[in-house]
Amino acid sequence: MFASKGSAPIDRLLRPIHKWVWSDHDRRVRKLLIFGEVETDGGRDILRASEVTPDPLLRRLYLEHAIDELHHGVMFKQRGEELLRARPFTAATFFSGSPMPGGHGLDDLRVEDQSDPKLLAFLHIAEKTAAGRFAIYKECVNDDPKTREIFEHILRDEVFHMNYSYQQLGRLTPELQRRHVWRARASRMWNRYLRIAAGVAGLFGGIVMTLMYFVLLPPFAWAARRAERREAPGWQPIPQDRAESPTSLY
Amino acid sequence: MKILGISAHYHDSAAALVIDGVPVCAVQEERLSRKKNDASFPLSAIEWCLDQAKVDPGDLDAVVFYERSMLKFARILTCSLRAFPRSWRSFPHAMKNSLGEKVWARGIIASHLGIGREKILFTGHHQAHAAAAFLTAPVRRAAVLTADGVGEWATLTAGHGERRADATNISLLREIRFPHSLGMLYSTFTAYLGFAVNEDEYKVMGLAAYGRPTMVDRVRKVIQRTPDGAFALAPEYFEFQTTAARSYSSKFVDLFGPPRPSYEPIDVETAEGRRFADCAASVQRVLEDTLVDIARALHLETGLPDLCFGGGVALNGLANARILAESGFERVFVPPAPGDAGCALGAALYADRIYFRQPDRDAPDHPFWGPVVDGAHLARAAREDDQHVDELEEGALVERIAGDLAAGRVIGWMEGASEFGPRALGHRSLLAAPHSIEMRDRLNRDIKHREAFRPFAPVVPAESADRFFDLPAGGARLARFMSGVFPVRPEFRAELAAITHVDGSARVQVLERAMAPRLHALLEAYGRRTGIPVLLNTSFNVAGEPIVNAALEGYSTFRRCGIDALVAGSTVVTKRAASAKSAESALHDGGRVVRPGVPA
Repeated sequence: MFASKGSAPIDRLLRPIHKWVWSDHDRRVRKLLIFGEVETDGGRDILRASEVTPDPLLRRLYLEHAIDELHHGVMFKQRGEELLRARPFTAATFFSGSPMPGGHGLDDLRVEDQSDPKLLAFLHIAEKTAAGRFAIYKECVNDDPKTREIFEHILRDEVFHMNYSYQQLGRLTPELQRRHVWRARASRMWNRYLRIAAGVAGLFGGIVMTLMYFVLLPPFAWAARRAERREAPGWQPIPQDRAESPTSLY
Repeated sequence: MKILGISAHYHDSAAALVIDGVPVCAVQEERLSRKKNDASFPLSAIEWCLDQAKVDPGDLDAVVFYERSMLKFARILTCSLRAFPRSWRSFPHAMKNSLGEKVWARGIIASHLGIGREKILFTGHHQAHAAAAFLTAPVRRAAVLTADGVGEWATLTAGHGERRADATNISLLREIRFPHSLGMLYSTFTAYLGFAVNEDEYKVMGLAAYGRPTMVDRVRKVIQRTPDGAFALAPEYFEFQTTAARSYSSKFVDLFGPPRPSYEPIDVETAEGRRFADCAASVQRVLEDTLVDIARALHLETGLPDLCFGGGVALNGLANARILAESGFERVFVPPAPGDAGCALGAALYADRIYFRQPDRDAPDHPFWGPVVDGAHLARAAREDDQHVDELEEGALVERIAGDLAAGRVIGWMEGASEFGPRALGHRSLLAAPHSIEMRDRLNRDIKHREAFRPFAPVVPAESADRFFDLPAGGARLARFMSGVFPVRPEFRAELAAITHVDGSARVQVLERAMAPRLHALLEAYGRRTGIPVLLNTSFNVAGEPIVNAALEGYSTFRRCGIDALVAGSTVVTKRAASAKSAESALHDGGRVVRPGVPA
């Protein structure tokens, strides 16, 4: 069994935050529903890998892996919905999303662009990270046996996924096995950086847009509303002599 | 002339290629990217179209985008301004969303294809819908109606078209403008009923059959008819015009009651379930009444016997059947891809006939414009996985599959080029016997993984259609691409239980031999065995995934759900459960990796 000691140091450090996130009913439900989506997305990515790989054994392994992930998605979704039915959301919850999601569905995997060794290394790292985090989550939901059971079930699968991906990587490229794993780890870090950077840029962009909205737009808004009042509902004729340029964006 | 049409960035992006006035290929991006409703720039679809026709981008005479993206941006900005200051939350998102990629259509196309900007043209969104409906229909003159959520500003247009040997004309005479939109009305109810907008509208239509239109008066409060025969949405009931976060307002909730949470299953036996079904029935009724009125007025105005109907609203088969029955038009033509994906083809045809004044050409009257399936790929993969593979001659294959279907097996049926549009019309279909409720429930539960209330569609040879279905004059044409819902004849409802909806109707596909000869032969063979040449025909996919495209996509779907046999070309694969060698056991044989709890 994968115990929390197998988790990454950062996750062990963040254990109090994870406990805080999981302690609230609304946040717990949201996390489960997000995991449902992430696992389903990941399952579809791996399913795609099974369709494009030329290697028959990998096709079977990917397919089995994809079926597992899709099943995990269903389990998370059903449990989230079960909790939601028992007690609907009370309010919008701060920090309700997944600051560091487990699994690999959010990594925007482009399966067609990946060679099998790269994909296997990516899967190995992703599964290992997810297993470490799920082991901590399992401990965070000790008060909720059904959710805990889901994490236990998934952890068993993740160990299989982690192992097969590593072994197949060894089969395909025995001399480059470790290099592929390190590259996948670096690529994952880079993607995480890009996500954070994009998030920060988006935040700044949003602030600038909001400032513009309140500072620059009021006179235009006034004019737009005046124009709207002049518009009658119903049919509007389309002028037949309107000269439309085929190259115009307007 | 070689003209590439593109639709992208909102939902269902696609590419289509027209050469010398005739469509040669078209495909939705989702079929290639395997991401349902993929709205990204359709690079894979474009590459496939050009490869298929062996055309280099530099050989193209024009690339036509399906809408005027700056005009659309102007509408989004104007709506934000009109909703000031309530739109402050949605404004940054809307601007980033538009300015990030969507408004730069010309630059994106030029950079991806490496062609001159002067070759990149634009049509109006509803012009593309109109062209997709009119220029693919086998008519010379027709009234034209388009309706969807929204294009640039228009949400519904009416006009007429004429094809002559020397010149083609499509005149859209008038339009209804955003936010007054039948598509947005229906999508708002789709969201209110707990379904996904732009994807699950057909679930509302399916649910409507379980209810009674008891809330029509309330729906008519939110959509009012105008004296000129159009309609206007009452803005206080909606929020889609001010924010992307929510479609309906709290006043809407006051009027109709609490919305259905998406996680709650629908049980039409409960009072709450019936309320939602009644709500669906009511909005469906109002939509139909409104469309029938508009179509009737258009018929009186044009005096033409035929109507070409495009836009996403034309996917509503119940409304289409009522337009045919009540508007005065003798025939109603709905293309196989009336939604935004079809605009790729419409834009290319519009440019060919209207911008370049090319002579009129008939478009082949079928939906099969996508990639062709290769049975050899399926056979190779299945043999590698120790599945049972047969290679059969045409006649033997048809007889064998007819026997399987009669024995209650579910067949994954892949043949030739894939369909363009959302319907599986016999080239990427799951086929099954249509006789029992158990089959419907099995398909919903074990294969499609979808709600129990949703009906399945039948396919019937044109020669037998009237025997089983109550088709009005012009009904067979509307049913060619599964665009109409018609009654199953009462005497056959018990024998066609799997495809008869709760109200006794079915969204039937009437199949002419020339369109899909092999499926037609299968229907005849099935009819010889059972006396009923009708099959259940549903799209070959599972919930949340696009319809399968290539053989291996069909194969992976076959492997993970309860499909009994898979056909592609001359290859038939059946599951060999007893001797199937799973990946796990393959590894186990190696003695290296086993699942925890499984002894090595």
